[in-house]
Amino acid sequence: MCTRVISFLWGTAFGVFPEKKVEKNMLAEIETQKMKHLQILLLLMSLMFCTCNSESPVTVESIPVSSSGALSGGETTVFDASSHAFSTPAPNLSAAALDTHLEGDVEFEAVFVTAPAVVNPGLGPIYNNISCINCHVRDGRGRPPRVNEQVVSLLIRLSLPNSESEADMLGKPPIPVPGFGTQLNNRAIFGTPPEGTIEIDYTERSLTTADGMRVHLRTPQYTVKQTYHPLPEGVEMSPRVAPVVFGLGLLEAIPEETILAYADEADVNSDGISGKPNFVWDVVKQKNVLGRFGWKANQPTLLQQVASAYHDDMGITTSLFPIENSAGQPQHTKTMRLQSTPEVSDDILEVVTFYVQTLAVPARRNVDTPQVLQGEQLFAQAQCASCHVPTVRTGVLSGVPAVSNQTIHPYTDMLLHDMGPGLADYRPDFHASGTEWRTPPLWGIGLLKTVNGHSNFLHDGRARNLMEAILWHGGEAEASRQAVERMSQTERNALIAFLESL
Amino acid sequence: MKCYNEQVRRPNARFYWMLFPCLLLAFAFVNGCGNDDETDEHQQNNVEVFEVGTILNNFANTVVLATYANLDAKAGELLTAVKALAADNSQQNLVKAQNAWKATRTPWEQSEAFLFGPVDTQGLDPALDSWPVDSVNLQSVLNSGDTLTIDFVSGLEDTQKGFHTIEFLLFREGNQRQVADITERELKYLVSTTENLKDSTSQLYLAWAPEGENFSSAFSQAGQGSAVYPSQSAALQEIVNGMIVIADEVANGKLSEPYNQSDTTLVESQFSFNSISDFQDNIRGIQNVYLGEVVIDGEGLNEFVNSKEPALDARFQTEVQAAIDAIGAIPHPFRDAITAERGAIQAAIDAVSTVQQTLEQNILPLVQSSEFN
Repeated sequence: MCTRVISFLWGTAFGVFPEKKVEKNMLAEIETQKMKHLQILLLLMSLMFCTCNSESPVTVESIPVSSSGALSGGETTVFDASSHAFSTPAPNLSAAALDTHLEGDVEFEAVFVTAPAVVNPGLGPIYNNISCINCHVRDGRGRPPRVNEQVVSLLIRLSLPNSESEADMLGKPPIPVPGFGTQLNNRAIFGTPPEGTIEIDYTERSLTTADGMRVHLRTPQYTVKQTYHPLPEGVEMSPRVAPVVFGLGLLEAIPEETILAYADEADVNSDGISGKPNFVWDVVKQKNVLGRFGWKANQPTLLQQVASAYHDDMGITTSLFPIENSAGQPQHTKTMRLQSTPEVSDDILEVVTFYVQTLAVPARRNVDTPQVLQGEQLFAQAQCASCHVPTVRTGVLSGVPAVSNQTIHPYTDMLLHDMGPGLADYRPDFHASGTEWRTPPLWGIGLLKTVNGHSNFLHDGRARNLMEAILWHGGEAEASRQAVERMSQTERNALIAFLESL
Repeated sequence: MKCYNEQVRRPNARFYWMLFPCLLLAFAFVNGCGNDDETDEHQQNNVEVFEVGTILNNFANTVVLATYANLDAKAGELLTAVKALAADNSQQNLVKAQNAWKATRTPWEQSEAFLFGPVDTQGLDPALDSWPVDSVNLQSVLNSGDTLTIDFVSGLEDTQKGFHTIEFLLFREGNQRQVADITERELKYLVSTTENLKDSTSQLYLAWAPEGENFSSAFSQAGQGSAVYPSQSAALQEIVNGMIVIADEVANGKLSEPYNQSDTTLVESQFSFNSISDFQDNIRGIQNVYLGEVVIDGEGLNEFVNSKEPALDARFQTEVQAAIDAIGAIPHPFRDAITAERGAIQAAIDAVSTVQQTLEQNILPLVQSSEFN
């Protein structure tokens, strides 16, 4: 009986609970008795649930339906498979925390304009976009432009190559390019020259798997054009699309020792997979600490991630980065004095940080269909789960109890891995080499089409679907990719069905 | 401090989400402890008395497409009026253009009850409705020697295009703008930016239209091969969420923020004093979606809710009309009312909040508790 109950429980997790009577009573309850009583109710029901299965008591936490379960974000999980799947507040926020989250939501959507202005001044003078939400549309994933579209949610990081050996460069920040800094700002306020424009050309190639499936992969070629000032020879360029912003507080709450325990830099266990932590500069602590965020784990905290996005992407100063991104360049004219007060206050910086810390993670769908279960097994067998770690326990994130002490299913180890020459940007970033990338979380990837209307994956969105993304894997993931290439069509379909259930 | 684009602000959402695990457990308990008869009963509940696919199809084709068709047609009329003004800058032509702007605003505000799909994924919401207007940049453009072609204006930021930029050029303090004060360059800019707006409304219509990219099929094919909505439940959830988002935005953003802060710079459509119409049309958008009716009355969510809980259907229809009326009862202009007529605004906030609560606490759970494919 247990299996039936449980499988139904998870089967309905998507948002279907057909007992009308129960639901109606519950709603009456909610209207009159409010939150506190709900928690008691929840407890009571858990007890009843266990009692009726008294021969083999089951607690919710240990439900063994599927190794990872539907509750991808623990108690922060939401059951929403609509385009709001990434942009819902965590359901376990207190009333006060929800208010802060909603304040952050408004600021995340704030559109900035040229100063002086009454509302939201401070844009630029050079920038990549004019609001957070314009790149992270619906708190989701950016993509490269389609034909005849402008570049909106993709940017290019720049740095100078170093004469030192890669070993000597290790642990050091990228070297800014004179006149450009570390990021190409391809837009500017009127009358000010942008740093340049981005042009992307794709070369198609095809790949045939063991059983004859042909897959087309497109290799992008990036060219910076119309620069306001010549770009030095041999500049390192790294394209990046805007990543999703939900579930980030949970990732910040993973204890450092947990992440370090996954590391196997010297590949002691000889599985071909190393896993390396990045250590990057923390501007608040003024020292190198574990890097967690960004495509190369080059940001240590969400506070710094948010502040650097304001600064690098929108040209907006904060107390963390009080000097304009254009300082020292001709775009920064004398009329724009170096301001003593940041363009975005600490209050705003804090609520926006809290906002991205407390966006809910969408629940998985169809977790117990035979095809999805088969795909999950194949995912593990192909060693995908060695880096895309399914289950992690968070620790305590100060000031954010909602994300603390949660069992989550992010499918990342938060570490850097060599992904081979195919994906390499050859732009080192602290301890990340030119071929290394941080394992991106996979939660929510099955909802990308619903939320953002596209299915572009990887750091620059070159993959047009999940199978292409898998087939771009090389380096430490070489054996895993080969395993997928050896699969039958049925098995590959199951693997994709599993990924789409995330 | 905000733009009027899609915004998820749901103070009451937490309540519902907390309810969810309880419901799951409640059902697991009831079902798990029960006997086989309950399984039969459960199967009987699967049989729906109406075809949910009809509602989804009707939403896409009768509500969304009709609204966007109307928007595109009105944008065409606005372009004609603006061109007439540029050709002959009489006060009479200015008034015609102002009226055409307001007429275009109506279907747009109604469409804010479904701010998802191409309007969002193709960046059309910011292109059409960005706020605030970057008036410093706009002035720099007007002062420059650049030729104000449509291509040139289209290349500018969204904060120098769309409804509010056109509004800024056509209106001051309601209808106080004098045609003599509008410069040649402003008229040129007006024509180009209105052409750009018309391009966006055409793009939006075609993105949904069967003869275009046919996003409508994401709804009509939900649960039957749609890559966007793998289940009908997800598609219905999308529709209800869309209504919740705009109810929340009107109650807690558009009405509350200028009111709470007594700040007229936060008022939507502040140059034209069109705020009250804007807000009413937002709620009319909810009404359209719920009833499945814009030009013709098709099957809407009301048929579904009525089949489950007739009293809820009746109550919700009354609440929606009451919200439209309460907003209409705010003395014009809204930006003066935020300080002078606070009771009327509070009443409107309460009425819209009631709509939001019913959607969140009754209609969304009802949709989610029903089995679709």
